[in-house]
Amino acid sequence: MSSNIKDNNSERVQEILDVIMSYARFDFSKKTSVIGNETLDAIGAGVNMLGEELETSTIYLKEKEQLLKEIHHRVKNNLQIVSSLLNLQSENILDKRYLDLIIESRNRINSMALVHEMLYSSKDLSKIEISHYVERLSKGIEHSLSKNDSSVKFNFNIEPGLFFDIDHMIPLGLILNEIISNSYKYAFPSNEGTITIEMIDTEQFYRMTVKDNGVGFKPNFDLKRDSNLGMQLIYMLAEQLDGKVEINNELGVSYQILIPH
Amino acid sequence: METLDPPKNAIELSAFWTWMGDDGIARTKTKPFAEITVKEAIENSAAVSSLFVDRKFPLLIDARNIKSMEREARSHFSTHGRETKITSFAVMVKSPLSRVIGNFFMGLNKPAVPARLFDDETDAINWLKKYVL
Repeated sequence: MSSNIKDNNSERVQEILDVIMSYARFDFSKKTSVIGNETLDAIGAGVNMLGEELETSTIYLKEKEQLLKEIHHRVKNNLQIVSSLLNLQSENILDKRYLDLIIESRNRINSMALVHEMLYSSKDLSKIEISHYVERLSKGIEHSLSKNDSSVKFNFNIEPGLFFDIDHMIPLGLILNEIISNSYKYAFPSNEGTITIEMIDTEQFYRMTVKDNGVGFKPNFDLKRDSNLGMQLIYMLAEQLDGKVEINNELGVSYQILIPH
Repeated sequence: METLDPPKNAIELSAFWTWMGDDGIARTKTKPFAEITVKEAIENSAAVSSLFVDRKFPLLIDARNIKSMEREARSHFSTHGRETKITSFAVMVKSPLSRVIGNFFMGLNKPAVPARLFDDETDAINWLKKYVL
């Protein structure tokens, strides 16, 4: 008799355990049986109710995730519409100065749109791997700024597995856009050269280096006096990340940006 | 004194008996091994509300015989977002099963009116008396 009770209890414990494991796999279709008024029935009922609560929370989280995805998608689409409008506008502009301003604005918008696009395609919707972003951004800028006979090459050396959230990615994307665009515009009069982008995690900060092997700044170039909007943006955005910018003008121009963890 | 035997004039539902006590405290008692879905919960709250004459009243729920209460029912009983005629409620629990269900309900649903679990009927009645208007 006592052995029967023991066997029965073992079976019921196993049944409860099976249901718990199903819930751990997000399968909420199972429930434990409640057949009496004993302690195991009470535990089983508690597990059943916990499953119901977990199922509701999971559905709620999935709905929120879907909504977030939808928001990123819409923001990206809206930014692309603005970018396309600028594109259309540029077709009627003959003055190169204004045309350049429009292209600069369009590229800045595209750098932000790309963050949203990659976020809604990412697994957890909150972070993107910077190496993937940098490669896509660079291709976009190349497509926008390179001339027909251009042979500017990119060299990427970015530590794999570096993920950043949107608060970091938007400023980082804009900074990269400015530096790469500056290299395209000023570094290579012969349309030949290499832009190298490196990023590592030093455990105290992230160190991003963007350098070109072009002609460098003009001999009398003064950062304070001669900075354009792009350069000002680089400093402002780095400050937004509590980061520091160091510029070196030897064998081309090199920007080193240190971003604290 | 045991006051939870349904009188003849109690409203009998599929899973509950419900009636008004002489002390101004409404009672509702689950039938043996009652499985409460949202249907039974809505039925019950309609029966409780039908006891309203001119003032709100406290409610004593005898859940000692309950078998299960599904999530929607728990949510319904928390009284949020629905018209309710009660000032407070006390839930009577005794068996391990009723204790788990009662604690789960109280712990997760945060009732909109004062609510407590009791295993002693006299204590429950004394607490509810404070809420008789």
